[in-house]
Amino acid sequence: MSRLLAAIIMMCMLTGCGTEQRILEDLGMIQTASYDLEENNKLRVTINMPVSATDSTIKKMLLTAVTDSSKEARLLFSNQTELTVVSGQVRNTLFGLDLAKAGIHRHVDTLLRDTSMSLGVKVTIINGKAGELLSKNYKQHSETGQYINRMLEKRGSGNGIMPSSLYQFTRDYHDDGIDPIAPIVKDTGEDAEMDGIALFQDDRYMMKIPAKKALIFTLFKRNLKQGEIIIHLENKKNPKDIVMLSNIMSKRKVKVHHLANNRFKVDISASIRGSVLEYTGNKDLVKKEQRHKIEEEISQYISSQGEQMIKDMQKNKVDSLGIGQYVRNSLSYAEWKSLNWRNVYPQVEVNCHAKVLIKNYGKYS
Amino acid sequence: MNENEKLSPFHIAVLVFMSQMGIVVFTLPNSLAVYFGTNGWLFLLICFVVSTINIYFISLVFRLGKGRSVFEILERSIPKAVLYPVYIGLASVWILFGSMIGKKYVLLFQMMAFPTTNPMVIKLAIDILVYLLLIKGIYNISKAATFFFWITLWMYPLMFMFLPHFHWIRLTPFIFKEGHDMVKGGVDIYASFLGYELFILLFPYMDQKKKPMLAIYSGNAFVTFIYIWYSLTCFGLFSLKQLKKLLFPLLDLQALLRFPFVERLENLLFGFYLFLVLITVVMYLLAAQEAVRRITPIAKSHFFVFITIAVGYGISYIPKSIDQVNDWIMKLGYTVTGIGFGIPIIAILVLLIQGKGGQSHV
Repeated sequence: MSRLLAAIIMMCMLTGCGTEQRILEDLGMIQTASYDLEENNKLRVTINMPVSATDSTIKKMLLTAVTDSSKEARLLFSNQTELTVVSGQVRNTLFGLDLAKAGIHRHVDTLLRDTSMSLGVKVTIINGKAGELLSKNYKQHSETGQYINRMLEKRGSGNGIMPSSLYQFTRDYHDDGIDPIAPIVKDTGEDAEMDGIALFQDDRYMMKIPAKKALIFTLFKRNLKQGEIIIHLENKKNPKDIVMLSNIMSKRKVKVHHLANNRFKVDISASIRGSVLEYTGNKDLVKKEQRHKIEEEISQYISSQGEQMIKDMQKNKVDSLGIGQYVRNSLSYAEWKSLNWRNVYPQVEVNCHAKVLIKNYGKYS
Repeated sequence: MNENEKLSPFHIAVLVFMSQMGIVVFTLPNSLAVYFGTNGWLFLLICFVVSTINIYFISLVFRLGKGRSVFEILERSIPKAVLYPVYIGLASVWILFGSMIGKKYVLLFQMMAFPTTNPMVIKLAIDILVYLLLIKGIYNISKAATFFFWITLWMYPLMFMFLPHFHWIRLTPFIFKEGHDMVKGGVDIYASFLGYELFILLFPYMDQKKKPMLAIYSGNAFVTFIYIWYSLTCFGLFSLKQLKKLLFPLLDLQALLRFPFVERLENLLFGFYLFLVLITVVMYLLAAQEAVRRITPIAKSHFFVFITIAVGYGISYIPKSIDQVNDWIMKLGYTVTGIGFGIPIIAILVLLIQGKGGQSHV
C-alpha cells in the first residue's frame, strides 16, 4: 500500500517534469482579445497581455493583426513577440459593432474549440471599434482590459446589465426559443461606459436596450436579486416627479395562452419588492393609501415600458426574453416544429404585469 | 493477508461503483443528447433497469450455485477443451477493453494538459500503478478502491454550484426527440454501466451470509444516481443543440467552476478521475487474470501480471487518435455487454441441467 501511495505521489509530481516547460515570465497570457470587421471581410484582432517579467518596464503588451481567422492571428502574434502567446487566461472578448452586426458565431466557435479556453470567458460588444477601445489608455483607470472586465463583473451596481459568457451566449444561440444577449460598452472619451444590452437575432446584433432601461428589461427576463432604478412618474400635475427604487428583488412568471389560428397571448408578470430611497413627489410615503398609489404608478410605468420594449423586439424579430421557450413547452413536439417561431413571434400579444411592493422607505419620513 | 478473508458488502458495493464509473462520464451527457435528443437523460433509467436484470441473473447463479465459482460450475458440465479457448477469448477481450479505457483517459489528459507530450509516456506511468495494484490481489484492490472512493467523493456535490443556472425550461417537455440511431447509441451508452458483470467471477471472495448481491445492486444504483445527477444538470444548464456540440460537457462544466481563491479547476479535477479509471482498468485485468488462472496457475505470478499489462500496453499503441480509441471501445463494449449477459445465462442453464441430475464431466 505504501509503495502504491509513493507511486501515486511521484506521478503527481512528475507532471512538473514535462518536456514543455512553461516559465511564467516567458508566457504572453492573453487577457482580453478584441475582434473587428475590416474591409474585404478581414478580421482585425487586437490582444492585450499583462507582462509579468520583473526586469521589464512595460506593464502590458498590445498586439494587432489583420487576418482571416482568429487562430491565424495568434500565429502572427507569436511572430511579433519574444513571448509564447497562450490563451488560457483570457477573461474577456470584445466584438466591435460592425462585426456583431455581421454575426459573431464563427469566431465564438473557434474560441470554444480551444481546450485551454473556458466557457466562462466573457462576450462583450463594443459600440464602435473594439480594437481602438482596447488600445486606449484611460488615465483615471487601471489597464483597459482589466478595467472593462472589472466594470462588467462588479456586483451591486444593480443596473441590470449582466456580463455574458461564451456559455450563456452559445446556450441561447443554440436554443430554438430564445436569442442571446450581451452587454454593450462604449468609449466616452475620459472613460468607458456601460451602454446597454445588445440583443441578437441568432448571432447577429439587431438592437440595443439603453442602459437606463436595462433594469426593466431584466425584470421581465429573469428573477432579480439586486437592482436599482430611477423612475420618472408620468404625473400630469408635476411631470418632474421622480422615485428611486433600490434593493430591488423580483420574481418573474410567464404564462402562455393559446388563441385560435396558431396565435398566442403571453402574460409576463414581475413581482417586485424594493425600498424607496428618493421621492420628489408630493404624496406621503408613510400613509398607506398614498404609498399604494405610488406603488401603482411605478407598476404602471414598468409595465408600459416593458410592453414598449417588447414591441421593439418584435419589430426586430428578436426573442431575447425567451418567450419562445415557454410557448415551445406549452405545445406538442409536432406543433412546435410546424411553427416558424421567428415569424409567429412578432404577432404574439405580450402583456407585461409589474406588481411593485415598497417594502420600506428609508429612515426618514 | 488472510487468504480466507471475504470482501465485505460495503467494499463490494464500492468496488462495483468504482469499476463502472470512469472516463465515460465526461462524454455521457453529450452521447445522451446526440443519440436520444430531448430529455436523453431518461435513457439512463432504462439502462438501470437492464443492468438490474443482468445483476439478477448473476444473483441467480450465486444462489443456484450456492456461491461456487462460476468457472467451477461451467467446468462440471462443459469439457475443458471447449472452455479453455473461451477463457482465452474472454481474457483477451477484457485486457483489450481495460487498456483502451486507460488509453482514452491518457489521450484526454494529453489534449487538456500536455498537448505535445507522448501519450504513451503517461500511459506507462498509469500502467505502473495498475501493476502495483494488481499484484496485491483482490482484497487490497478493494481496500484501495474504498480509499479512492472516499478521496473522490467530494467531487460529486460540486454540481450543486450550478443550481442557480439550472432551469427546467431548457429540458423541454419532449421525450427523445431530435436524436438518431437510438439502438446503436443505446448499446453504446449502456457500455458506461459495464463493470458489474465482472463480479460473477468473484463469488469465491464473497461471504454468502452477508448479502453480497445486495451490494452489487447498491453499487449499480449509486452509479446510476451519479450519472443521472451529472446528465440532468447538463441538460438543465445547456441547451440541447449546445450539448450536442460540447464533446466533453463535464470538462466544460468544471472549467466554469470558480472559487474566490481559485478558478479553472478542470485540470486538477481531471487528475482525480485517474483514481476511478485506475480501478476500472485494474478490475478488467483482474478478470482476465482470474480466467487464465483456470488454465494455468502461472496466472497468479507477478510475471504473468507484468506480461498482461505489457501486452495491453503494446496493443494500445495501435489507435492513435481519440476517435480511433472510441471506435475500439465501442466495438469491445458490444462484446463485453454480450459477455456480461452471456456468462450468467449459460451458467443458469448449466445449473438447471445439473439440478435435474444431468451428466457431469468430472
